[in-house]
Amino acid sequence: MTDNAITLLDAVNLALARALEEDPDVVLLGEDIGVNGGVFRATDGLQARFGERRVIDTPLAETMIAGLGVGMATQGLRPVAEIQFMGFIFPAFEHLVAHAARMRHRTRGRLSCPMVLRAPFGGGIHAPEHHSESTETLLAHIPGLRVVIPSSPARAYGLLLAAIRCDDPVVFLEPKRIYRASKTLVEDNGEALPLDTCFTLREGSDITLISWGAMIQETLMAADRLAEEDISCEVIDVATLNPIDHATLIASVHKTGRCVIIHEAPHHGGMGAEISATLSEQVLTSLQAPVRRVTGDDTVMPYYRNEQLYLPDVDDILIAVRETMEYSG
Amino acid sequence: MKYFKLPDLGEGLPEAEIVEWHVQEGDQVEADQILVSVETAKAIVEVPSPQAGVIAHLFGAAGDTIHTGEPLVEFAGGEDADTGTVVGQLSQAQNTDSQRESFIIGAAPSSRQAGRASTTPAVRSLAQRLGVSLETLRGSGPGGRITAADVERAADMDQSFGAPEPLKGVRKQMAKAMAQSRAEVVPVTLCEDADIDHWPEGTDITMRLVQAVAAACAAVPVLNVWFDGQQLARRQHSRIDLGVAVDTEQGLFVPVLRDIGNRSRDDLRDGLNHLRADVKARSIPPAEMQGATITLSNFGTLAGRYASPVIVPPQVAIVGAGVIRRQPVAVGDDVRVHGVMPLSLTFDHRAATGGEAARFMQALIQSLSE
Amino acid sequence: MHEVSYQGDIRLTRYLDDSGRPLGEMPDWALGEQPWVGYYQQMVLARQFDTKAISLQRTGQMGTYASLLGAEAIDVVSASLMQAEDVLVPYYRNHAMQMIRGTPISRLFLYWGGDERGNASPQMGRDLPNAVPIATQCLHTCGVATALKLRGEHQAVLTMIGDGGTSKGDFLEAINVAGAWQLPVVFIINNNQWAISVPRSKQCIAPTLAQKALGAGIRGEQVDGNDAIALHDVVGQALERARAGKGPTLIEALSYRLSDHTTADDATRYRPADELKAAWSREPVARLRNWLHGKGFWDEAREQAWQAESKQLIEAAVAEWQAMEPQPVDELYDYLYAECPSGLAEQREQARLRQQRREQRGADHD
Repeated sequence: MTDNAITLLDAVNLALARALEEDPDVVLLGEDIGVNGGVFRATDGLQARFGERRVIDTPLAETMIAGLGVGMATQGLRPVAEIQFMGFIFPAFEHLVAHAARMRHRTRGRLSCPMVLRAPFGGGIHAPEHHSESTETLLAHIPGLRVVIPSSPARAYGLLLAAIRCDDPVVFLEPKRIYRASKTLVEDNGEALPLDTCFTLREGSDITLISWGAMIQETLMAADRLAEEDISCEVIDVATLNPIDHATLIASVHKTGRCVIIHEAPHHGGMGAEISATLSEQVLTSLQAPVRRVTGDDTVMPYYRNEQLYLPDVDDILIAVRETMEYSG
Repeated sequence: MKYFKLPDLGEGLPEAEIVEWHVQEGDQVEADQILVSVETAKAIVEVPSPQAGVIAHLFGAAGDTIHTGEPLVEFAGGEDADTGTVVGQLSQAQNTDSQRESFIIGAAPSSRQAGRASTTPAVRSLAQRLGVSLETLRGSGPGGRITAADVERAADMDQSFGAPEPLKGVRKQMAKAMAQSRAEVVPVTLCEDADIDHWPEGTDITMRLVQAVAAACAAVPVLNVWFDGQQLARRQHSRIDLGVAVDTEQGLFVPVLRDIGNRSRDDLRDGLNHLRADVKARSIPPAEMQGATITLSNFGTLAGRYASPVIVPPQVAIVGAGVIRRQPVAVGDDVRVHGVMPLSLTFDHRAATGGEAARFMQALIQSLSE
Repeated sequence: MHEVSYQGDIRLTRYLDDSGRPLGEMPDWALGEQPWVGYYQQMVLARQFDTKAISLQRTGQMGTYASLLGAEAIDVVSASLMQAEDVLVPYYRNHAMQMIRGTPISRLFLYWGGDERGNASPQMGRDLPNAVPIATQCLHTCGVATALKLRGEHQAVLTMIGDGGTSKGDFLEAINVAGAWQLPVVFIINNNQWAISVPRSKQCIAPTLAQKALGAGIRGEQVDGNDAIALHDVVGQALERARAGKGPTLIEALSYRLSDHTTADDATRYRPADELKAAWSREPVARLRNWLHGKGFWDEAREQAWQAESKQLIEAAVAEWQAMEPQPVDELYDYLYAECPSGLAEQREQARLRQQRREQRGADHD
């Protein structure tokens, strides 16, 4: 049992260890996760502790990893599969969409697919191409497929445990830019967080800032700066992108009347659009200004030399908030 | 670190031949101590130790070829320096901020109760164009929403009858307070007359009333309480703080005369004069209008006989005094013309009984009859 | 009763032993000075490039780089045997092949330096750029070959893949369709024994990777990937077969990854130092050098001179690369579609303003 300040990555490792210990049906599989402990060390030490039967180094094949996961899950195991980077998740799509998401539905509950698929995602680590993708919307669009994104060590721990214990398939996307960016106290108490709930990180009254993943960092920094300008921001971490806890978002924007949504993924069809549409349907009469989105641009993620041109930063958020506060229609 | 690998020797080629080891397995070495001499195509290079430590293993012997990146030396007990990634760079936490995270699961408490006058952006913009103030409107839409029809109706009314004047200040307060009273209080009014014919010329009528209220509160303290309609509890006051209704152009003010049971008549008169002056000068602080335990409304200077004055919660009683008039009264079996003051007592029947009210009235009359 | 419906075998070609001495009688075509001296020089240049790239990463001047250390013979011989009109479909470790086929070395640094212009060198002709998602290049290879075949061009398409990549569906689908359609392709497996931390033994239980060809009904063989002479023989013949319309070949080149998987990886975490040391004793550059020395085609003086010249070439390329300004933000939009849709005009404008703002902020902080 550890109870000290740990990173998001440590929290993932802790949750995996906990799950492996508690439930003999939990099995990890993926490339380089055993001997090497994962390319980011997320599974460090787990094969040594739990053995090769439960922490498996697979051949190099993402379709295979996802397909194996589906098969294992239908037989009552709880596989936690790792895809090394979100950029390499596309071969796994077929099994996620055509099978994992609908196994329960098409067998009317006779079979289900309690698998977790973990993948690091997002940019900002100066990596070669394909290693910085943010395509969570493609997954969150699929009915039957839960998509969960932690933004802090404590939420990584609680949400990953919840994902593993959940009887539905969950894609667990880990924002790699903040894997080691901060440390907080996380108690290894085996307590899961709820999977279909947003988390209110700051209570405020003037404007609601909605985000997830690594952009939560920039959002909180913006909220701090705005507090100095007497703008009280409520900051909400969506955390589960499918199904979304719209109720929390609606209650907040109903109170504040203003909203800016922040995400790294491109603008067009990003999950910000879904949230914005729902807010316009449900709290139009409380809105004092249009719902704004601060997002990545609708271009391919640039190679790392120009990576910073693409990623939204604190200033972009500040500008959007100030414009929203000044909006008079 | 565990493995020290041969660093790039800057020659553009990764090869070097081990010429001579300067340390042995088991040796304790210092940082920068020369471990080995190697020969490249160009020269003999001395390779220093990157750290202090104990040599566990030497890789290769004199004459062997070794390459950049190959392990040269193994240190005992070291942890290998690990980038912790296979591409890019991950930024490391600068501070071990031993904070426990605090976040709310779901919506913040303030979001759960929020309410706001609602209307759509289109209606908002219509109101602006027609010059209608949304604050003055009551919505007829679902949930009290203001509709375009509401706005247009208001615009018509404004045209025909002029724009409404939104209430401000004490008038607005009064409207709210009276409505709230109506919603909560169960008022019963008891009326009686006090024969004050025997009062000498120049009697300070208001002071007689004030002291009568004090006497009545002493006799029937149960009307000098605060009543909580939610909790169904009452708070008995030993002190009597009397709200005195003062009528002005701006509206109704009710400053509070404190502790009337323990002050002399002159002191009370002084106090009331000061309050009146402050009200007139509009310099009365809000604190002076809070905390009344019972109220007196003397409309006798104007017009009116009996009334059912309004109780402002959490008080439970209000005394009203009307115009003193000379009227026929029975004195024994004879008819005389005496000065008579009509009195009204409204009490909150949630907190007090008719009997208590009647006894209070009795005590009032008693005091005024002296 | 049982009969044998099919029996196949996998041949392994070697000419030189681990130290570069002949294993037996050498064929006549192997006895001259060329192309071997030329190969050797390119291999040395490739290794200099590689060392420099690693050094640039270590000193923070360049991002993550995938080293080609140990693969010099495979890359150099294959690229040298390709004709200009053949098409190369590389994976992500074929920098030496791109170099030999005409890409300026500065462009190689550009790619690894995080700049898309590294894929845009005109000298790349119709070669495809690096493929990072594993094995995807194999199907592209088949697509390119199909185009050539449909157009009646008699050229070959060559692609490379690691041992790990052969576990992927894309690879298996590619060799299958290459066989079914008799495509003019050469698949080369750089079996360097490691897929990041996963050893060859964990990828597949088959004794050779080349025999996957049998499943696809195409020709498969092994070659010692550290033996330039053997590679010349096997790859050369495969390319000729392809150009002559005689179908695809799968070549498994046996080699060893002498470096970490990338500059961010640390192989000491998962592989023994002894194994690495032993692999160095079989490495391709020294082997060819020894063979050339033995034949009198190379000596110390030429070695020094060539090392110096190579070094200069590399340094010049680094300087050229480092002098290049980063791309303006417009380029993110200019190359998204054939013509940038009008709907993106505002976003492009915002991106420009944002870049200006950030540059201003950066300047303010200086």
